[in-house]
Amino acid sequence: MLKILKTEWLKIRNYPAFWLVMATTALSYPGINLLFWNEYKEITKKELATGKMIKMLLGNPFAFPDTFHTTAFFSSIFVFIPAIVVMLLITNEYTYKTNRQNIIDGWSRNHFILGKFFDVALITLLVTLLYAVIAYIIGMLATESIVSSDIWKEAKYIPLFMLQTFSQLSIAFLIGFLVKKAFIALGVFVFYSVILENAAAGIARQKFHDLGRFLPLEISDRLIPVPAFIGRIDEKGYTEKLASINTHIVYTIILTALVWAVIYLVNKKRDL
Amino acid sequence: MAILKIQQVEKSYGKIKALKGVSFDVPEGSVFGILGPNGSGKTTLLSIILDVLKADKGDYLWFGEPGSPEIRKQIGSLLETPNFYHYLSAVNNLRITQSINERGNEEDIAAVLKKVKLFERRNNRFSTYSLGMKQRLAVGAALLGSPRILVLDEPTNGLDPVGIAEMRELIKELHQQGFTIIMASHLLDEVEKVCTHVAILKTGELVTHGQVDEILVDEDIIEVGAADVHQLAEALASLHGHNKIIKDGQLLHIYYNKGEAKPEQINSFCFKHGITLYHLVHRKKRLEAKFFELTGN
Repeated sequence: MLKILKTEWLKIRNYPAFWLVMATTALSYPGINLLFWNEYKEITKKELATGKMIKMLLGNPFAFPDTFHTTAFFSSIFVFIPAIVVMLLITNEYTYKTNRQNIIDGWSRNHFILGKFFDVALITLLVTLLYAVIAYIIGMLATESIVSSDIWKEAKYIPLFMLQTFSQLSIAFLIGFLVKKAFIALGVFVFYSVILENAAAGIARQKFHDLGRFLPLEISDRLIPVPAFIGRIDEKGYTEKLASINTHIVYTIILTALVWAVIYLVNKKRDL
Repeated sequence: MAILKIQQVEKSYGKIKALKGVSFDVPEGSVFGILGPNGSGKTTLLSIILDVLKADKGDYLWFGEPGSPEIRKQIGSLLETPNFYHYLSAVNNLRITQSINERGNEEDIAAVLKKVKLFERRNNRFSTYSLGMKQRLAVGAALLGSPRILVLDEPTNGLDPVGIAEMRELIKELHQQGFTIIMASHLLDEVEKVCTHVAILKTGELVTHGQVDEILVDEDIIEVGAADVHQLAEALASLHGHNKIIKDGQLLHIYYNKGEAKPEQINSFCFKHGITLYHLVHRKKRLEAKFFELTGN
């Protein structure tokens, strides 16, 4: 196990695209959250009654404990950035034919897939760590009077964010694994995640009794519902979404397990 | 003892049958050449014994056991093109190879890079290497940590004449050290120079296999030349005891069953017909000739 990890690390350590994409992630996560936080501050700092009203209505979504929820929601928009590196790591193996060389050199096909599983897990961990640190820092800065017992009240969003990221990166990996070509895989993933699934989910919501909740990315998207301040627009819907988180945890775990089972079976049978 | 037993291996790509029940043994300590024209199934066969491709039927046994990762760790292999991470240096690529096959240590990497003359460029990215350098690195990776067996698919691809000669010497040296080497190649001359055993494939079928000497000595060839080759050919038409006569430029090749060729009789036969030979050589059949004969090329 450790040897597989070590080998994967040797592949990643000197891979410029990995560090470039991770640096982009490291900038984009705080970037989007600071952007919305500043926007919030701009709106609520107005001396006029509107500012105070808005503040009263919205509360402070960036203060503890809501910061973990709000930051998770905005950060999750950028999951396609680490997805790029996940797809590159698998498509590189096909481009350079190193997937077959790894087998020739003495790995089993399971070792190869386990190595890639570790890559996805490692990137998920790094991304989750980044999100958690940003959420904590923003919370510290945005909270007027910190009550220590409140800080971690919504920390459940850390494992939820991790599960969502792992699930969505696993889907990105599956696309890269099946398509084998980096640019086509990236195109398919972006087109599907940005356009196709959103359109399908929207149509399903209106016409098919919300069947869209079973779409691959939507399943885990619902682990982190819109933050409370936006959710208040539709209080009933928001409460329902909060209540369905546990169900979606189960769905997400099942879907992710299925994704890796497909990868395992295809890899076991196909010629390299 | 057979280090590798290939038993009735079949493989198809859609409707194309790449291998049609191929079986042979590779003896321990041999240099085993797998020959065949393009599309004969050489690389498919090597890919199957290295578990890159799955055979449709049949089996193969390394040391009497089915192939496994543990066995592949004892095999140094170069299959088709050199497969390395383009963004990594030679050293880092070999570290990955070593991390997987668990053979040797950091000093072995330096030693092998010196052996394939890449030590000076060891920290340069693989993508900056020439074709020959890439091939040398692949050979280096195969040699890393002294494997028990070497499987080399077209090992002289991309090498210059000096590199080819060095590769030939390296294979001979490794053979003397007791390594078993399985190599597929188009270069029949090279195979003849280094291989002890050979298997010839044609459109997925095994045409012949065995020791190179045994395969080549089933016929004797007398090569003759005279000032007027047409007159010589007419005269030799009445010669008895040979199997066939083939014209090759200004020379004629007279084929006999093994041990039946008598150059002195041919010389006196021609002299009686008023022909003076300027060329008379008793040759063993070349692998190239045998290959073309068997594969119908």
